Amino acid sequence: MTERSQVVMDRSQPRMAGLALPRPTQLWQLELRGTLARRRALVIKLAFPLVLVIPLVTTGAPPFFAGMLLTVLIAMVGTVGTGVTITRARGSGWLDRLAVLPLPAWRVGLELFFAGWLVDALQATLVLVVIAIAERPDPATLATTWLLALSALSFSGAIGLGIAALTDHAGEAMVYLSVVLAPLLFLSGLFTGVPAGGLRYWVAQILPFSYLDEGFQLLLGGNPPYGDPLSFLIAAIIFLSVSLVATAALGRAILARTA
Amino acid sequence: MNDLSLTKPWLAAAGLSRRYRNGRGVGPVNLTVGPGEVQALVGPNGSGKTTLLRCLATRTRPNSGELTWFGDGDRQAARAKLAVVFDATAHADELSARQNLAFFATARKVRSDLWEPALEEAAVAELGGDPLARLSYGMRRRVLLAEALVGDPPLLLLDEPTLGLDVSGCQWLAEALRIRARTGLATCISTNDTDFVEQVATRVCFLVDGEAVRDAPLSELLAELGGTREVQLSYRGPSPISAVRVIEGVDRAAEAEGGLLILARQRDGLLPDILATLGDLDLHLVDLKVRDPGLADCFLRLTGRALHD
Repeated sequence: MTERSQVVMDRSQPRMAGLALPRPTQLWQLELRGTLARRRALVIKLAFPLVLVIPLVTTGAPPFFAGMLLTVLIAMVGTVGTGVTITRARGSGWLDRLAVLPLPAWRVGLELFFAGWLVDALQATLVLVVIAIAERPDPATLATTWLLALSALSFSGAIGLGIAALTDHAGEAMVYLSVVLAPLLFLSGLFTGVPAGGLRYWVAQILPFSYLDEGFQLLLGGNPPYGDPLSFLIAAIIFLSVSLVATAALGRAILARTA
Repeated sequence: MNDLSLTKPWLAAAGLSRRYRNGRGVGPVNLTVGPGEVQALVGPNGSGKTTLLRCLATRTRPNSGELTWFGDGDRQAARAKLAVVFDATAHADELSARQNLAFFATARKVRSDLWEPALEEAAVAELGGDPLARLSYGMRRRVLLAEALVGDPPLLLLDEPTLGLDVSGCQWLAEALRIRARTGLATCISTNDTDFVEQVATRVCFLVDGEAVRDAPLSELLAELGGTREVQLSYRGPSPISAVRVIEGVDRAAEAEGGLLILARQRDGLLPDILATLGDLDLHLVDLKVRDPGLADCFLRLTGRALHD
């Protein structure tokens, strides 16, 4: 057994379902365990999307508006969560500590991102569970939209990391995120629909939010012009891959910035 | 430590400079730290100590100059052999000392059987299962130091290591560093805690406004103060500094810590002369202390400025 995989237990360790959890030896484990330990914040974080999705599906909101709202929600969760977390980590000196460890910058970036992404993914999953219960949609559409939501979270997270590489202040990060996200959501056709041709059509094809919006509309009984499960699956794989590469590349930029 | 060079310095800076856009920063500085040495970087606030330490710790890239660790300029390779304590006590505060230390020790590939002894050495093992957010600042600083000391890294870089520590904490840390120095580990400390530096340092570099004004063995610096005395005055009223400076034997005088710090050659009648001078002025003497001079007096003598404003 290698040093890195050794599991050390002690009586002081937190327990889950009666089992002692191993000590966190990887950064993503440490970050995730920290998030799970903030129980009240975690409950609020998980309840927040439910507060939005339950009224939408139970009141029969028009799919176009419901899809738009849920896509904006996913985009905000991914960007704000990552961007604000990283800027705070820099302000507290946490990134300074991570930067002088013998860990490659790309790995630090990926692990910081991954820990937040797991919780964000749980939020998105809860949204889709509510939709699945209320709407009984086609399983293929449900599964591919879920994958799209996860890839959109990765894409948003990568944007959040990029913003975090530019500023040291959480409040400033929020402003930058809004400035970047608003046009991306508009170009994804969330507010006006995707036009049948022209530049805006092609721009929408390279943004995950347009696919996710169509996926939500399909699940909620709408009839968007372009959506089908196969294109969702391909888009989800591509955006997930692109986001992971971007996240690894941004790791160096995040650590290079000195608070 | 078998793979570490004993002929080259473990940390070497040549002409190292890191200046910010406003002109503040540090350098050029030349510095070497060899095995078994404890190098202290001493200077008042804003003198560039922390900037220099951050460069030495691979955190900040210098604008110019050469920096090597164990004879190699590779920053990533250096990180495997050094441990750093910055002034911020950043942790995963919801988790325990054991959990935090497990992560940092694993990242530095420290054997797991050394984790608990490190917490015991820092006297935090008893509280090692409590969330750090519930511990006092001083205890969290001890955890931070335990995370750096675990596994005895060949090179330790500590920024304000005594920050938040009580007397026993400072004594523990001084002893821990002395023991490690005897076994050949190298340490670089940035601080203006001169009492601590006198306990552990083998060499001291004084920094003023980003410039290294003196770098010498501690023993040499203290020897230069032979035959002098430090007099500390607390008073209410106008500053007596001009009058004190012309007293026979007074070498340096500077405003410090709400009073006056005087460095003077030891001679008969020195104190009566000081008291007589003060008596001629319209001020109320609150306190007067006389003691053997220390590192802070070295700084005063060298720069004409008090280390602690």
